[in-house]
Amino acid sequence: MKFTWKWLLDHLETDKNLSEILGTLPKIGLEVASIVNLAEDLKSFISVEIIDVKKHPNADKLNVCKVFDGKNTFNVVCGAPNVKLGMKSVFANIGTFIPGLNIKLNKGKIRGEESFGMLCSEKELTLSENHSGIIELEPSSELGLSISDIMDLNDPIIEIEITPNRGDCLGVRGIARDLAAAGMGNLKDLDVIINDGEFGSIINWHVDLDEDEKYLCPKVFGRSFTNLKNDESPLWLKNRLIAVDQRPISSIVDITNYIMIDIGRPLHAYDIDKIKGKILKISKSKKGDKFSALNGNTYELDDNMLVISDEDGVDDLAGIMGGERTGVIENTTKMFLEAAIFDPVSIANTGRKLNLNSDARYRFERGLDYNSPEIVMHYAAAMINKICGGTFSKIVSFKLEQKNKQIKFDPNIIYQLTGVKIENELSKSILEKLGFKIASVENIWDITPPSWRPDIDGVADIVEEIIRINGYDKIPSTKLSRNNYIAKPAMSIKHRQAFFASRILANRGYNEVITFSFLNKAMADQFNGGGFSLNLVNPISSELTDMRPSIIPNLLLAVQKNVNIGAQDLSFFEVGPIFKGDTPNEQISTITGIRYGDKIKKDWQKDAVKFDFYDIKLDVIKVLDTIGVPKNSLKIFQDAPSYFHPGRSAVFKIGQKIIANFGEIHPEIVDFFGFTKSAIGFEIFYENVPLPNRNKISKPMLKISNLQPITREFAFIIDEAIESEKVCQVAKSIDKDLITDVIILDVYKGEKIPQKKKSIAIKVTIQPVQETLTDTALEKLSVNLINAIDKKLSGFLREI
Amino acid sequence: MVSELKEDLQNLLNNITISIQNSKSSSDLENIRVNSLGKKGSITLYLRNLRDYDLEIKKEIGAYLNDIKSQINKLIIDKKSVFKKEHLEKKLKSEKIDVSLTPSEAEIGTLHPLSRTIEELCAIFADMGFCIVDGPDIESDYYNFTALNIPEEHPARQEHDTFYLQPDVNGQRKVLRTHTSPVQIRTMEKIDLKSFDEIRYIIPGRTYRSDHDATHSPMFHQCEGLVLGKNINMGHLKGCLIEFCRTYFNEDNLPVRFRPSYFPFTEPSAEVDIGCKKENDGSLVIGEGEDWLEILGSGMVHPRVLQGVGIDPSKYQGFAFGMGLERLTMLKYGIPDLRPFYDSDLRWLKHYGFIPVDNPSLHSGLNGVFS
Repeated sequence: MKFTWKWLLDHLETDKNLSEILGTLPKIGLEVASIVNLAEDLKSFISVEIIDVKKHPNADKLNVCKVFDGKNTFNVVCGAPNVKLGMKSVFANIGTFIPGLNIKLNKGKIRGEESFGMLCSEKELTLSENHSGIIELEPSSELGLSISDIMDLNDPIIEIEITPNRGDCLGVRGIARDLAAAGMGNLKDLDVIINDGEFGSIINWHVDLDEDEKYLCPKVFGRSFTNLKNDESPLWLKNRLIAVDQRPISSIVDITNYIMIDIGRPLHAYDIDKIKGKILKISKSKKGDKFSALNGNTYELDDNMLVISDEDGVDDLAGIMGGERTGVIENTTKMFLEAAIFDPVSIANTGRKLNLNSDARYRFERGLDYNSPEIVMHYAAAMINKICGGTFSKIVSFKLEQKNKQIKFDPNIIYQLTGVKIENELSKSILEKLGFKIASVENIWDITPPSWRPDIDGVADIVEEIIRINGYDKIPSTKLSRNNYIAKPAMSIKHRQAFFASRILANRGYNEVITFSFLNKAMADQFNGGGFSLNLVNPISSELTDMRPSIIPNLLLAVQKNVNIGAQDLSFFEVGPIFKGDTPNEQISTITGIRYGDKIKKDWQKDAVKFDFYDIKLDVIKVLDTIGVPKNSLKIFQDAPSYFHPGRSAVFKIGQKIIANFGEIHPEIVDFFGFTKSAIGFEIFYENVPLPNRNKISKPMLKISNLQPITREFAFIIDEAIESEKVCQVAKSIDKDLITDVIILDVYKGEKIPQKKKSIAIKVTIQPVQETLTDTALEKLSVNLINAIDKKLSGFLREI
Repeated sequence: MVSELKEDLQNLLNNITISIQNSKSSSDLENIRVNSLGKKGSITLYLRNLRDYDLEIKKEIGAYLNDIKSQINKLIIDKKSVFKKEHLEKKLKSEKIDVSLTPSEAEIGTLHPLSRTIEELCAIFADMGFCIVDGPDIESDYYNFTALNIPEEHPARQEHDTFYLQPDVNGQRKVLRTHTSPVQIRTMEKIDLKSFDEIRYIIPGRTYRSDHDATHSPMFHQCEGLVLGKNINMGHLKGCLIEFCRTYFNEDNLPVRFRPSYFPFTEPSAEVDIGCKKENDGSLVIGEGEDWLEILGSGMVHPRVLQGVGIDPSKYQGFAFGMGLERLTMLKYGIPDLRPFYDSDLRWLKHYGFIPVDNPSLHSGLNGVFS
């Protein structure tokens, strides 16, 4: 909402200055978005007379002019088609900043002719979009004066953000009223002269709605005007409209726009000569009705849109936009003026369906002053009469009686809700200044909100009005006390798991990224997603159409971006949601990571080593360890989803629940991303990890042996199909008390090893518990181990 | 007689001392030791020859000889340790390496600045007794709008630029939540009024709006807060949020301003500004100067919202707030541009990311500076 300082003073009688007003506006909820003073920008532009015009010797479309500012003469090259001898226009000297072009003028030669400045268009001064020629000033204009004085531009423009509840402040008067309530002056009376009109209106209303639907148009007023002169508006009016970004068109249109900004009351003007018949009908549209709007577009209407029609059909979309056919034009002499109240919900729905925005719709949707149609009929008539002449008719109207809204209010609620103590008299005075009517019955107030505040419908709204004007700074600042509480952890186990996992991964060289929850359809399909229920109706681009079924594609994209700008070795992880369906239970939190390139970089010390399956496996194991997965419960399977390499991927499960998928990404996908090296990734479904038993916090007692551990090494030949880890499992099972660790030292296939066999070398750590083991006991243990490998894996000791 | 003998011995000692001093190696020393103190060594022989003298002389010279013997021993040991030291020094010198070399190593990774901000927020609000909760990114129209007092035709809906998912068989279309506020409704629905006293929740999470330009991302993050109890008033809202702003920005006297505003789900509503100075280059200095910067929205939970979840607004009241986390992160850590947050550019992540060993907490400090 834009308005000017002088405009505000039309409604507000005040001895406060601009900066005091600007300081108060945000305190009462009217946030100042900008303050611009055109006069400041335009002070170097001066009025001149063109005293000589000659054709440019080297350019057909240019003229070389001499301009005179009352003292000095300047040579100027000018390309405007309307330049002529004796004309008065606007001149910018060398060094002047031209706001419309965003440049500072330099002395220049244009095709060999020197130019000492510039004659300007309205666009160059940011006065309008008009760039068809240079500004033509009144012949009587004095020379050498600043243009802001001649054009009366010395009026700061204030823009404020209006929240959706404050439709009343979409007019300058509403803002003045709020300022007055906040002690910034007094609200002037609106200058309304009641004039009932001289003749019966040429056009009449017909509200063609069922009784139970009359609420869609509870009020509509109109009156006819004749013998009008619809010229250009006077300068003051044009300047005000320009200042608030309304393009001046013609007097009648300008006046309706002016009143909309002035008191927040949209109006519509019909050309009576173009209305077919004598009746304007307010009704609901039928599907297929067509309507050509003033913006030049044609709209096909749906059922149940509120429209106004004459005998030729629909030519006004109620509260949103008038029609082209019956619109006011330059030579209009007879005009019918409409001011109505329409149901905001209906207006909003229609506007949204047609995707049609207008200043009128904006105001109707936010709710208008219910009493405004009556008042504006007189307010507008006086203004039209003054500017366009002519006469006007009696008023024709339809209205439903509206019951006044009343709210029962216990003033104690102010303290209860906000903690600020305000004297009852002060509260009452604030409300009354805002236009509320109060009838006290004992300690309960019966409050009637003013007609321009349809947003007020409860006790909390009234509290806000009072504390808003009283000042939010008067609300005390109270610390939240702990009362009956003991300190509790803020994080749930799930949050802690993500917190720890992130740290483990970053410590292992991963960089955390955050990527969009959506991706393109092809990738969603590739990663087993892409279901209809997870497809966006209105994606922002064709690359972001589907909710992601996995974070792996996002991370591959991240790798791709970095590879494209020259990065070599990359490790990324993300903690975030994936989507299997559109219900809350189908949103799954995962920790997902990708590694690409070298684990060890080649340097003077060592050769390069690439990341492989086993690096990722280790990453997964470290994360699972950290987030409390009981090691023994994990089982490994080789049935990872289709986007992994079928031979180089695995799944960790606890029972039936998948805890992690990991391994090389399928080579086809790696190709698809254009990678030259393989990518290895994992996804951990940490929500599937069984929660630890909460009651068991203490640890089992630590038993430490003082006896030296003993190690023994063995090498076995087994079938190559047997998973190597099985050897460790069998070895451990020999004596769970004594054997504390078994690690694989070597896996070997080839020379000296039979076909389809492999050699596994292990190191077994034996920790005596109570006494040193005798050679015999050790020998027995070894024999047991060898026998177990033979029995369970058909393996045998390798001869060395 | 005695003095002659003593003189002889003294000469002998002098000669041995000189040869010890002139020795070049441990083996030289060993030879000297054998030649003087060995079985056939000069000192040993001298001792042996004492048999032929008187007891008196024997006694006196014997003591003298023993003294000389221990002197020689000491000289040899001392000289030996000198050799040992020289040998070690030589050896160490030969072991010298080029310390200017540094091997390459897999670098430690970083945590995203947004995660950092979320953790800082959690630390601050945890100290005030809040718990972290979350809710789904895909929401029904009811939770995202209607239950928050934003009916279908409400003008505020237009400001939300909502993403819609394909409609189901009943024509209902889910939305990507446009704010974290629907989780307010979900948490309040779960309240068991029989045992209810007070709740304090914060809800950080992903939010979505179909807007993409220099200052808007189709996905961004918010943190919602909700406090509900019997005696929670707007003074608590103020106290809580002032404490938050000052702690987060680490400015004891940070000016914090509450300004009337409007949100459909709170009444009264307030926007919160912090004091700052806008520099000519467009950067901001938090806590100085005359300008104000809006950083969050808040208000008392609207009675209609409470009624909607079955809570009697005459018995319980509370406040809610919401803030954009990207903005908070950018302000605190001087990150000039929003878009790279989601670009996964390693250079950006390394520059603005945080080292994983720095856990934000109130006892170790919230300002991540060691990355």
